[in-house]
Amino acid sequence: MTPLTPTIPTITVTPQAASDAYQSADQSALGGTDVTGFSATLQRAVQSAIQTGQSADAQSMKAIAGGGNITDVVTAVSKAELTLEAAMAIRDKMVSAYQDIMRMAI
Amino acid sequence: MDLDKALTISARGMDAQSSRLVVIAQNLANQDTTGSTPGAKPYQRKTVTFANTMDTSIGVPTVSVKEAGVDESDFPLKYDPSNPAANAQGYVQTPNVNSFVEVMDMREAQRSYNANVSVMEVTRGMLTRTIEMLK
Repeated sequence: MTPLTPTIPTITVTPQAASDAYQSADQSALGGTDVTGFSATLQRAVQSAIQTGQSADAQSMKAIAGGGNITDVVTAVSKAELTLEAAMAIRDKMVSAYQDIMRMAI
Repeated sequence: MDLDKALTISARGMDAQSSRLVVIAQNLANQDTTGSTPGAKPYQRKTVTFANTMDTSIGVPTVSVKEAGVDESDFPLKYDPSNPAANAQGYVQTPNVNSFVEVMDMREAQRSYNANVSVMEVTRGMLTRTIEMLK
């Protein structure tokens, strides 16, 4: 499993990490009291997604300026796209889990 | 992640084939380049070889250009007394570039490049399908 540490710039949200993140978020949501765990997990996932996006952005800018390597641009943009897709899928899952908790009859 | 690595490996493969195409382009463009003084050497055909080297950033070996060498074969002689590179007998050394060989090399580079593109497409498809499971 890839650790979701925001200090390492090359980390991407892998599907494996995504399901782990969802599970831990789901568990903390079910616990009901650990709000920090839920938001921290979400923040870490979003942070690494943003970093991947930024690297894709930098590569694309280089390509537009006439420099850079087109294969690097394709890889960076592909990775960013897939990371964003994974991040959105996890976000939807997390929000629906949160809503499930909120709808619970006390 | 492994699929991420596959993406990078394919990209490096595409880079390697691009470098190969650069060498082929040089050879084809210079297939008639002779020397400028009598008896001078003409353009010498360039070659490119590849190596499987470790990419420390992703932890797997990828392909890279090992070295850009030259073809040491003989230069064919052509009778052309008006050429500035012609020797006393009127013969000029012409480049050891065979355009048929270069065109075949080019086709090979194209096919290899396309193969790498296909691997990239399949990898992307697999990743997308996996992410779709979350939805």
